Amino acid sequence: MSRTITLGPREVGLEEPMYFRVEVEGETVTGLDVVAGQVHRGMEHLVMKRNLYQNITLLERLCSLCSNSHPSTFCTAVEEIAGICIPARAEYLRAIADEIKRISSHLFNCAVIAHIVGRGTLFRGVMETREIMQETKEAIYGNRMDLAANCIGGVRYDLAPESAAFLGREMERMKAPLDELYRIYATDADLTARTEGVGVLPRRDAVACAVVGPVARASGVAYDVRTKSPYGAYDRLRVEVAGEGAGDVRARTLVRLREARESVSLIEQCLAQMPAEPACLDTLPEIPAGEAIAKSEAPRGELIYYLNTDGTDMPARLKWRVPSYMNWDALAVMLKGEKVSAIPLVVNSIDPCISCTDR
Amino acid sequence: METAHNDTSEPPLGLFRINAGSCNGCDVELAATAAVSRFDVERLGCRYTESPGEAAIVLITGPLTARVREKALRLHGAVPEPKVTVAVGVCPVSGGVFRDSYAVAGPVDAYLPVDVNVPGCPPRPQAIVAGIAEAVLLWKARRDGVPPPTAGSLPESGGENAAPAGVRGRMRFNAAACVGCRMCAHVCAGSAIRFDEEEAGLRFTLWHNSCAFCALCAHYCRTGALAVTEEWQLAHRHEEQYRLVEQGVVPRLPCAGCGEPLLPVPPELLRVAFRETSPEIARLTALCPECRQKESIGGTRR
Ligand code: SF4
Ligand code: SF4
Repeated sequence: MSRTITLGPREVGLEEPMYFRVEVEGETVTGLDVVAGQVHRGMEHLVMKRNLYQNITLLERLCSLCSNSHPSTFCTAVEEIAGICIPARAEYLRAIADEIKRISSHLFNCAVIAHIVGRGTLFRGVMETREIMQETKEAIYGNRMDLAANCIGGVRYDLAPESAAFLGREMERMKAPLDELYRIYATDADLTARTEGVGVLPRRDAVACAVVGPVARASGVAYDVRTKSPYGAYDRLRVEVAGEGAGDVRARTLVRLREARESVSLIEQCLAQMPAEPACLDTLPEIPAGEAIAKSEAPRGELIYYLNTDGTDMPARLKWRVPSYMNWDALAVMLKGEKVSAIPLVVNSIDPCISCTDR
Repeated sequence: METAHNDTSEPPLGLFRINAGSCNGCDVELAATAAVSRFDVERLGCRYTESPGEAAIVLITGPLTARVREKALRLHGAVPEPKVTVAVGVCPVSGGVFRDSYAVAGPVDAYLPVDVNVPGCPPRPQAIVAGIAEAVLLWKARRDGVPPPTAGSLPESGGENAAPAGVRGRMRFNAAACVGCRMCAHVCAGSAIRFDEEEAGLRFTLWHNSCAFCALCAHYCRTGALAVTEEWQLAHRHEEQYRLVEQGVVPRLPCAGCGEPLLPVPPELLRVAFRETSPEIARLTALCPECRQKESIGGTRR
């Protein structure tokens, strides 16, 4: 007999409030509906009440896990409209900030996966490794989550030689723990048993759902904005796109761990290539009327901003498409036929961000 | 089962989290206080719980969206008395950057009593732990039916709580360097800054409970009148919430020509504008725009 149950945040073990209506037969999931809106803060309305400067700070709080991707992509759209070329150094510094956030975000997701499968020690271990990143962010940007790195015309932080050397050392420190985490998640028999073949999204469905980010790459779709349409400094960086084919929870976790390791290499490349010059334009630009689209690869996948201006410093329209939105629908495919008890694990494996999806 | 216990064997106090529509920044930091040994809340005699019935201290994050309000209030109601409520981050206190949205029903204290605030956006885990420590003191006083202790001495900000240089704490205002251009208020996403015209001059007020600690105001302040400090330890009792302000008055001086009050031009601005100043420039700064205009008409052209 089929019935419908409602699952809330407590049962799902997320940091964010997310509700599901799940159809089940016995203990098996047959259908799924995401009940959205708990974190709806009216962001599309708020961004129209705030000028372009205020939006830099507001958009950083669209979601704190991808918090650098939002303002940097937004500033890129503003700069496109104003015809501003930001200094190359600023492009590298934006990439550094993005990659630092990617490592932290991916590690947080891997930690939660460990937590859900009941591996308390591993959970704490991943969180401790992530602390290296948190402390690095705090030392360089002054905050562990929201970096406040961007401004129109560039970035508002710089890496003096000592800070660049510090960042380089911190990246060196990350390598061994990241390699070790990859080894654990790839080879641990118990973890593999819990995550292999679970929540499978076959390549065909990944394409049909147009999923993005690590979810796509774990299903064999090698789509990454950093290589497909390079922005900022990425056309000068060597980006290895991580890929897996199995499309299950395990593959998605492994893609994230490989990407975290790749981010370390990208930061090192930035530090090596970054020219010495000012990190921001010195003047406040006029923003003419116009429209622009800017894209980036946020930790959860492709992020798209659309901005329309009317010559004032209030946006005429500002809209964005966040990666989690694209990945929601695939949950119905991943969960069909799974046990109800697998829901938290599978839901977490798409690394859902409610905050930016509900906005 | 509850048994009689003395101070050394008290069962841990349950910490219950309610996400009232946050950007997840504060929630991720709460997870850090639960997972990372350095922040460990167990040292305070606390433990996170997923069940409101087992909790003593409620940690609430987010601006309280209209959509989540009823659920959040119900969960809060399910925590038994005596409970203590901690607002984590500026969102629950003022709405933070999400102020004035149709979708935001906060501030939280419009619906339930809040006891402790932890400013920050998000706050450092060390600040959250300080707020929890304060909540534990309040809870014990309530349980014992004694008046709340005077605000507890917050943990030292040195030692393992030490912040690295450059941590973004509260903003500081230097009235002597302010030109009254109000660019800071213009760029502030949380409307944390306001200017009021007063007889004595232009009053600047910044409410730390609405500030996202983004430092954009300082970035766009050409004279350096606004600066970021490293003071991050701002946890406080809720009744103190409006004391957490930075204030200053930019005095008006009489114009050297006609005597009308004017905002003087601080040397910081002159340095930005002219690099070096001269007695002639200094003399012009003491004049109101009208007198300066007269001066220009009467003066010799270059
Ligand atoms: S206080 Fe800041 S970090 Fe915390 S939930 Fe609000 S916006 Fe996010
Ligand atoms: S740091 Fe300045 S601009 Fe940012 S929220 Fe606070 S007062 Fe506003």
